[in-house]
Amino acid sequence: MIPIIIDIVLRTGDIALAAVALSAGYSLVKFPNIALMQYATVGPFLAYLFASWGAPLVAAALAACIAVGLIAVLLNITVFDRLLKSGSAIAMIGSLAAGMLFTAALLVTAGPDSRHFDFPVEAPLNVFGSPVTGPQLLAVAISLAAFVLLAALLFLTDIGRCMRATATNPDLARATGIDARLVVRVIIFLSGVLAALGGIGIAVKGELNILMGQDLMLPVFAAAILGGLGNPMGAIFGALVIATAETLAATLNFGPLIGKAFLFIPANYITAASFLILVLALLFRPHGLFVNEVKRV
Amino acid sequence: MSEFALHVATIAALYAMLALSLNLQAGFAGLINFGQIALFGCGTYGAALAFSHALGPLAGFALGLVLVVLVALLFARLGRNLGADYWGIATLSIGEILRTIATNEIDITGGAQGIGGIPALFDTGSPLSGRLILFAVVLAALIATWFAFRRLTQSKFGLSLRLLREEPQLAAAFGYDLDGLRRRIMLAAALPAALSGFLFAHYLTFVGPDQLFASETFVIWTMVVVGGLGSHAGAVIGAIVVQCLFALVPFAKDAFGLPSEFVAAMRLVLIGGGLIGFLLLRPQGLIPERIGGVRG
Repeated sequence: MIPIIIDIVLRTGDIALAAVALSAGYSLVKFPNIALMQYATVGPFLAYLFASWGAPLVAAALAACIAVGLIAVLLNITVFDRLLKSGSAIAMIGSLAAGMLFTAALLVTAGPDSRHFDFPVEAPLNVFGSPVTGPQLLAVAISLAAFVLLAALLFLTDIGRCMRATATNPDLARATGIDARLVVRVIIFLSGVLAALGGIGIAVKGELNILMGQDLMLPVFAAAILGGLGNPMGAIFGALVIATAETLAATLNFGPLIGKAFLFIPANYITAASFLILVLALLFRPHGLFVNEVKRV
Repeated sequence: MSEFALHVATIAALYAMLALSLNLQAGFAGLINFGQIALFGCGTYGAALAFSHALGPLAGFALGLVLVVLVALLFARLGRNLGADYWGIATLSIGEILRTIATNEIDITGGAQGIGGIPALFDTGSPLSGRLILFAVVLAALIATWFAFRRLTQSKFGLSLRLLREEPQLAAAFGYDLDGLRRRIMLAAALPAALSGFLFAHYLTFVGPDQLFASETFVIWTMVVVGGLGSHAGAVIGAIVVQCLFALVPFAKDAFGLPSEFVAAMRLVLIGGGLIGFLLLRPQGLIPERIGGVRG
């Protein structure tokens, strides 16, 4: 049981940061930004680059996150804001195209090979009888710290109150003197930082390559939609649901259900679990698990 | 060299059919389909499965049609209560699920190795003349699709499609059956996509899941956006332009002595850059949609 729970927590950490970033961005800029998945790829590559110049890992990661946040703001001003005037679907296609340009840039500069962050090889720690490596613990700690900071920012500070107000009713927020442009920029910056951080979390545990973002896309969308797009804290819960479904699909023995000794879902179908949850969620709960309202989306 | 030109022309014509199909959904009805390649895959796998079960190409075409009708109806059903961007994500994930199935049901689909050795449709002794005949068939299918779609969009049905795109709530208030419209448009668009897949399978003689990556859908999207959303001629011209540029990439690589990653990167830049560039600077595309002049 403990190993399953640990797997679920690790996988939640993988998905949750990017899902929170997607949801937070959507709360103010109403389109699903596919380029976020590439922010999660560019982030660790930048961190790797800074680290290879001799920066300590924490400083390199921090600098990479800030750089990606700035790229996100810049792209939003120059591209997505303008595309959004023609509709959210057009903006989504634009974000997809932007993501392709990122992949092309990485392909030319970094190449298609996988890389690793340089960690000294250490014996795994023993957590309730299960082996957990140091980088894995680090990744979970990064995610938890990011969630606590984001929640504190959203619910305890003035700019957080402005963000929530603008997300709920932009016109009213503007009428009360909130600088909506600034609020949007802050949240886009945050979503870039969070996505980059999520990518770095995945990369320190395993490897980084240019397909990371692509592999992340559907699980992250599934998590964000389950939590209700635009609800960053719900996205964490959505990520938990997706991670649980994937882990159980991978580890449970379905044999007894049909009277056989063993029946495992083929490993290659496990990634399809999140796609399936996504389709089911869109069919029955397009506003997320927490919303009962019947409304067109 | 002329064989290479024939190859590019055949592929461009096959993609033009896919672009016409996507343009009917996205350009006219406003349905943002990110799973277009799945419709194409129904056609390719229909042909491949019929071949691997020793059935003739006719059975393969019929099988492709059955598959594509099922997928198109599923897409239309999903579109019932989803906004455009959500529907895009839903169709994208269905496309990925179908690709996962094609990759993993090794006993049926041959898995990642795919199914090879599918015979050419026209065996005339010399491979070149067979390919010429196939190109003529593809061209005829493309022209037939073009005319059928033009008739469709210039009819009253076409007007209701544009109403569905622009003002869905108004359309519902006028008493249009939006679900029925979506269903019919998906079916109409699915047929040429499957036909294109069927001809593609018999042209390339190989079918595999690598042909069904989501990125292929976005190649078709680029063709439609570059040509002009809501313009049949635009979709065809977009397909020709993009395929010609793709065909030039390897030559450019050789001419400048660039590494092989350049080809993949350049394709991405062409698609991504084409999409963003046109969406930002010329959203109406090369050949803008003609507004008006249609009497239902």
